[in-house]
Amino acid sequence: MTLTSLVLRSMKKNVKHYYLYFFALIFSVTLCFSFVTIQYNPSVIEALEASGTATAGFESITYVLYFILIFFILYANQIFMKRRSKEIGLYQLIGMTKGFVFRLLLIENVVLFSLAAGIGMVLGFVASRFFAMILMKLMKNDAIVSLSFSMMAFSKSLIIFALLLAVVMIQIFIMIRKASLLSLFNAEKKADERVKKFSPFHMMMGIVGICLIAYGYYDSTRLFSVEGATTNNLLVNMLLILGSSILGTYLFFRYSVALIMNLIRKSKKGYLKITDVLGVTTIMHRMKGNASSLTLITVLTGLAVGIMTLSYISYYSSEADAKRLSPFDYILFDNKGIEFLNQLEAEGIEYEKTTFHLSMVNVKMSDLFNLDEKDAGYININQDAISPVVPLSDYKAINPEARLNDGETIITSYVDILSELLPLESGKKIRIHAGEKNYSLFIKDVREDEFFLSVLASASSPVLIVTDELFDEIQKNQNPEISTQIGINLVNEKDHEKAETLYKNLRERKIIEYDYQKTYKEYYDGNIALNGMTIFVTGFLGMAFLLTTGSILYFKQMGEAEDERESYTILRKIGFSNGELMRGIYVKQLFNFGMPLMIGLLHSYFAVKSGWWLFGSEMVTPMIIIILFYVSMYMVFGILSVFYYKKIVKEAL
Amino acid sequence: MTKMSFTIFYLSRESNDWKKRNVYNVGNESIQGVDEMAVLVARKIRKTYGKRTLKQEVIKGIDLEVHEGEFVGIMGPSGSGKTTLLNVLCSIDFPTEGIVEINGKPLKKMKERDLAKFRREHLGFIFQEYNLLDTLTVKENILLPLSISKVPKKVAEKRLAMLVEYLGIADILNKYPNEISGGQKQRTSAARALIAEPSIVFADEPTGALDSKAATALLANLENINKERGATIMMVTHDPVAASFCSRVLFLKDGQIYTELYKGDKTRQAFFQDILNTQKVLGGDGYDIN
Ligand SMILES: Nc1ncnc2c1ncn2[C@@H]1O[C@H](COP(=O)(O)OP(=O)(O)OP(=O)(O)O)[C@@H](O)[C@H]1O
Ligand SMILES: [Mg+2]
Repeated sequence: MTLTSLVLRSMKKNVKHYYLYFFALIFSVTLCFSFVTIQYNPSVIEALEASGTATAGFESITYVLYFILIFFILYANQIFMKRRSKEIGLYQLIGMTKGFVFRLLLIENVVLFSLAAGIGMVLGFVASRFFAMILMKLMKNDAIVSLSFSMMAFSKSLIIFALLLAVVMIQIFIMIRKASLLSLFNAEKKADERVKKFSPFHMMMGIVGICLIAYGYYDSTRLFSVEGATTNNLLVNMLLILGSSILGTYLFFRYSVALIMNLIRKSKKGYLKITDVLGVTTIMHRMKGNASSLTLITVLTGLAVGIMTLSYISYYSSEADAKRLSPFDYILFDNKGIEFLNQLEAEGIEYEKTTFHLSMVNVKMSDLFNLDEKDAGYININQDAISPVVPLSDYKAINPEARLNDGETIITSYVDILSELLPLESGKKIRIHAGEKNYSLFIKDVREDEFFLSVLASASSPVLIVTDELFDEIQKNQNPEISTQIGINLVNEKDHEKAETLYKNLRERKIIEYDYQKTYKEYYDGNIALNGMTIFVTGFLGMAFLLTTGSILYFKQMGEAEDERESYTILRKIGFSNGELMRGIYVKQLFNFGMPLMIGLLHSYFAVKSGWWLFGSEMVTPMIIIILFYVSMYMVFGILSVFYYKKIVKEAL
Repeated sequence: MTKMSFTIFYLSRESNDWKKRNVYNVGNESIQGVDEMAVLVARKIRKTYGKRTLKQEVIKGIDLEVHEGEFVGIMGPSGSGKTTLLNVLCSIDFPTEGIVEINGKPLKKMKERDLAKFRREHLGFIFQEYNLLDTLTVKENILLPLSISKVPKKVAEKRLAMLVEYLGIADILNKYPNEISGGQKQRTSAARALIAEPSIVFADEPTGALDSKAATALLANLENINKERGATIMMVTHDPVAASFCSRVLFLKDGQIYTELYKGDKTRQAFFQDILNTQKVLGGDGYDIN
């Protein structure tokens, strides 16, 4: 028999196994090629340039993507090879050399890779337009995306794919070289060594695992607190949290799960229900072999959900962030560019105008934050903070209910990175001074979600509201850079375009106070473009994580189902129905898919919670949306594997 | 051997209709009363494998009856359809034609779920290989058939204690299958087959993977349980020694019952000789006479 005919024959026979591996390959090419193609799509390039967003993000993510895919393919290949180990052993048994077997597998893989590359690139090419459309949609860009083939993307992907083939062949080479005949025949059995007895050591490690995770979570809640941040180095702390949760997760899967399952089982005193037989005991016995892959999947799930949530938080907060930078559609300072209003009127554009008088005072930090020097660490509390003051009568435009007595103040507009770290408290006194004069004011109220001063006027400091009398006094002693702010909101949405042009015109002619002063729409568009691209890229990555982890779980479950076929036969023969077996299998699937998902989500929850406010102003909604999305995609793999089991159980008798 | 047959009519519980049932009684056995129902009755069983083009009839019309307390052996050349017959009789497989009744219940009409329940409650199984779940301990394996049954724990515990005593596996209860010998595995299977006190135990070459010593031990155990506890057993075997433990041996050839031998009052040695002789008469088509 010639080599090629042997290859063809073995491929035909292995189609059942191949299709899995083949699917993994095609899937990888599709993802890779479409992602690279997007970067060379002219419409996308244009959109990115227009918004001033760099493509650097894209490129660095591409490498991460390559990395995931290589890892995924190697994993799939390993599973695939393990299943075929008996066949490879047989070839050697009948006298083929290892070199010959390697050549045989090489031909197989070249054929598979070429086919996968062909199919994957066609799919990827089509998918790239779809993805580009999603990207444009996310960036709120109306440009029409054309389907364009890029030679650059093509050759780049080919190189990556050739590299992948080389790596896979190295893996196969090592596997064949290392393997003895005996181990080849036993590879399927050996893979999941079985736990027998539970020593106190296992018990202890199980408890240590849970403790490590708990510690990681606890530490993450104080990561960005003032105490946490000052007593430890931030980076060291982050690594500590990461390390302890990953190690904890591994120990949890490796020991805690088996421990818990064994306790459940012991409590039954030998009288196991069918769900225990197929759920509890098989999970327990497979934990040794599955712990590392479940840990990996958990960590990747946590990572994927974490980064997707954070970038979605940014995206979700685009509007709120723009509002904070420019609370009104247009803002004029000190009456400069006041002709803008005339021009609006001339064009018949309706608008609403809100005027704020403002001045600046110095506030003692130590009064504001209630910290002693030791705790404050890197914040110099003896410093003064400079805060804008606004008279009560102007502030009433925002909060008509506001009342102030002499010597009282309201602090507002204080949501920032600091507000999470150093919350402000009402009901105490602060000292301020303006010029030579000192005042002591009682904080009547602290209001956070209220913004009316442009970032150029407030410099992101909290705003103090004072009585009109006090404001006049301060005004006399202080000569601030900006003393009035006029906020202009358009009444009709349709006028925006015209107004935007008018404003930009004035700005170009340097009639507006600052030539870098942006309109609300400019801030908003900039945010959306940047955050839209970010969420697209991280979403793409997250999807890649999701699909790879889901597939790996599915592959593994297929293997387990095959291994347990005999057990199902026995159980069916001695009188358990299809439905009863499936109930046990549901439990097992719930565990295998549910556990990594749940723990991964928990990880990402704590990770996101510790620092989400660095990214935006709303956590719960974006997080729930991302989690729902992720879980529903993930469930597809669980359902697939249940179907696979169903088939096996049905065939078992 | 003289066979005498007669027909009774009875009201079927399932179909509420009159049905015909043939009752076979054999001369040298005590006369069976008409009211005493056989545990297992098979009528005109045929089994065909394959689709239209490649049809192969493996069982070609078998009538069979097993009474309570019998230990029936089935022998025959390889490929004669022993496993097929057993699978059909024990509801794991369905006959292409014919009726199988266990405890007067026709299996054909039952749904998968009811059939499974029926197997669990009324039938016991010992297979040649792959008998035990290797993730469960010996004890858990034995108790498996009781997992959904309503047998109280106390009763189960008592049965377990008695069975493991009989079978000599009391001290390996907490071991896993990969930690015990092949003979112990088969005795564990026997215990599992008997724990639910089934109407009939089916065994397909239970000694196939054992050496003669372990095989003899297992067979002695089965014989013991058959004699003392009145368990009904049906066993497929290649081995004339194994067959000599039975009270009756059926010889299968080309999908039909060729003949049957009764042990009666004979010693095991004498019965063994009878079996060997019958095998010789049957001729050298695949019998391994050793
Ligand atoms: N599932 C099946 N599909 C098609 N043919 C089958 C199937 N099972 C068995 N056969 C055929 O039926 C015939 C009888 O098989 P069976 O397993 O019953 O023999 P046996 O008497 O148990 O043999 P052995 O002593 O070797 O176990 C054989 O010719 C076999 O090829
Ligand atoms: Mg057989």
